[in-house]
Amino acid sequence: MRHFLLFFLVVSLTASARASGTVRVVAKDPSGTPVADAVAYVLAIDAPAPVRPPADPVAIIQKDQEFLPYVTAVVVGTRVSFPNKDTVQHHVYSVSPAKKFEIPLYIGESSATILFDHPGPVTLGCNIHDWMVAYIYVLATPYFAKTGTDGAADITGLPPGRYRLELWHPRLAAKVGREITIEGTADSTQVVSVTLRPDRRIRRAPDSEGLGYK
Amino acid sequence: MPQFRRYGTRLLLLFAGVVAAAQFADYLLVTRANRRNAVDRIHENLVKGAGLFARRVDARLQELSGRAALMSDDYSIRQLFLKDQPDPATVRSALRSYSVRMGVPFMTLISPEGVRIGDTGGPLPEAALKPFQDLVQVAAAAEDPKATGFARLPQASPDGKLYALLVVPIYAPKPEIVAWIGLAMPIDQRFALELKSDAQVEVTFYYGASESMLPVESTLGLGATPQTETPLGDSAVVTVLVAGEPYVTAYRPLLPLVTPGRAAIALQRSLRAELAPSLPLERFLLILLIASLIAAALVAAVLARNLSRPLRSLAEHTRVIASGDYATRLDLNRADEIGQLAAAFNRMSDGLAERDRVRDLLDKNVSPEVAAQLMKDGGALGGEEREVTVLFVDLRSFTRLSESLPPREVLILLNRYFDRMSGIVEIYHGIVDKYIGDAIMAIFGAPVTQPGHADNAILAALEMQSALARLNAELATEGRAKLSFGIGINTSRIIAGNIGSSRRLNYSVVGDGVNVAARLQDLTRMSQFKADILVSASTLKAARGSYRVRDLGAAPVRGRDEPVEVFAVEGPA
Repeated sequence: MRHFLLFFLVVSLTASARASGTVRVVAKDPSGTPVADAVAYVLAIDAPAPVRPPADPVAIIQKDQEFLPYVTAVVVGTRVSFPNKDTVQHHVYSVSPAKKFEIPLYIGESSATILFDHPGPVTLGCNIHDWMVAYIYVLATPYFAKTGTDGAADITGLPPGRYRLELWHPRLAAKVGREITIEGTADSTQVVSVTLRPDRRIRRAPDSEGLGYK
Repeated sequence: MPQFRRYGTRLLLLFAGVVAAAQFADYLLVTRANRRNAVDRIHENLVKGAGLFARRVDARLQELSGRAALMSDDYSIRQLFLKDQPDPATVRSALRSYSVRMGVPFMTLISPEGVRIGDTGGPLPEAALKPFQDLVQVAAAAEDPKATGFARLPQASPDGKLYALLVVPIYAPKPEIVAWIGLAMPIDQRFALELKSDAQVEVTFYYGASESMLPVESTLGLGATPQTETPLGDSAVVTVLVAGEPYVTAYRPLLPLVTPGRAAIALQRSLRAELAPSLPLERFLLILLIASLIAAALVAAVLARNLSRPLRSLAEHTRVIASGDYATRLDLNRADEIGQLAAAFNRMSDGLAERDRVRDLLDKNVSPEVAAQLMKDGGALGGEEREVTVLFVDLRSFTRLSESLPPREVLILLNRYFDRMSGIVEIYHGIVDKYIGDAIMAIFGAPVTQPGHADNAILAALEMQSALARLNAELATEGRAKLSFGIGINTSRIIAGNIGSSRRLNYSVVGDGVNVAARLQDLTRMSQFKADILVSASTLKAARGSYRVRDLGAAPVRGRDEPVEVFAVEGPA
């Protein structure tokens, strides 16, 4: 069951007068538990949608020897900064094909920002702290949102048309995607069932100072 | 079954055989038990050895896995992956450096897609890629992403070696797997020797592309260890000859084997070495076997002698008895059955001697012919009618003579006289029927038929006359009185046979003719006849010879109505 993707599609269309539509995507695992930290995005099928990277860098901070947030979705061309709020140095790196980089040991506000110029997942690690892990998902589409603890993500400002809805998660066992159509200002809710791999992150002991984790 | 002429041989074989069988069975049981125990002990060791092998491989791989995990978290290895295209020479030198740190001869880096990123080089890389790629697939699907397996590398090469392979992930960071480290740990002679010193078993590693496997590494030497046809997965214990020496061997397949073919570890222990402690006991038993065989043979020989010697004496004694010597006695001086048998022999000799004495007495008391007849028909009562001639000879005036002599002298004289007369009777084929006081009754023609019984009787009477004359001449020289007798002879049909009771029998004749003969003898006392020998007409009639006779006319006979024609015989014609 775990590796088998169940695909439930419940589409409820509600009339809307606006020129752009919103798709509410609800990610659930096969047992019905909401899946947080999933990046939901749609790719325009009929006409390409240009991305406009933000002017300011997106920050992924290091606090309590953890990355925050765990998952960050950005569009291609976004710059990301990695401010260190800890009292110890960190050494942020990625060897992911989408972006290989490292910021050698530093503390405080690093002057360096990293430009993410290729789409795809980027896994962040720290050379000092094995348990620190975070993900940046670099997208080539402007329409995306991240699910919260309720598993829901609202993708807004969608012009009418046909799209391909996809979902990414660090532990996604298999790709999921479906075609959807936006008509006028109608909102729709897409419930997507996703199967996740077991969470193999290194778990730290609750009161440790970076010692005794497993 | 061969027949043995000598009882002793048979006894010897029996004794030795029984002892040999018992001792040999004992020896066999002990040696078999020793062997079984030895095999069991070896089996235990082999099972322990197999367990130890598995644990050692596991422990070593665990250790390598730990070191690889450290390596994967190493800053410098990540540096390699930060490059878009890592420099192959740098990757290789880095991996060599790691392989030295870890103490493994070969190491490779493989991308999550199964592409080789780099390796330490050497003769293996190309050949080694495929098994590692296979293991990467296994590891990627595993809960704990790592995999191990055995492999022969290079696969196709005849001098390929056995390795335990390990594949562990490189995280950047965990749980993101950016590459796999593949390690090869040699299952080589050193490994075998370590295992040998720990488990006290010989270790041979086998590999075969097909059913049969050849030794690849061995603590016994590759030349000595034979190839094997033992099916894998079969944990049976077998005994294998290594350089002519039996080794109890247990095979365990090396699993999983990621290269084609089959591989196994053979754990072996010398049966001879295991049996060595029990050899003195077995040797002692063997000596005991031989010693008891010799002892049994000696005892059997003594017993056989003890038995066969008296048996031979008995056999010899039967020959002595058969030859007619009943006087010799057999004295074996023993109380057992053979002693009893000897006593029985002696009693038999007594019996035979007794019989002989009886026969002798019979011969003396009856005439030999009667004795023979008695021996022949067993002295049955019976009788037959036949014609015989009866002769009575009686001493005259002997009663008066005997009164003047001491009894012993009388008996000596009488016996001397009887001896002469009886001898003459026997010479003329007559038998002395009985002695009646100083008279002799003799029969001619019974029990053996004689055609000339009448002649014999007359001739005997004439001879007796001469004999008496000679005896009288002797008596005259001795100064004794001379003897005279009268003889009566009659021929008639009478009844002859054994007469008496069933206890006591006499061969004799009865009938009127006997009486006539006695009467004729009485008549010789008649002075008018002047004759010592009187015969009846029937005797003269039966006689074939001719004699000088005097007809004395008819004379009345007591007990008979008719008188009897009486003749005096005076001599041969």
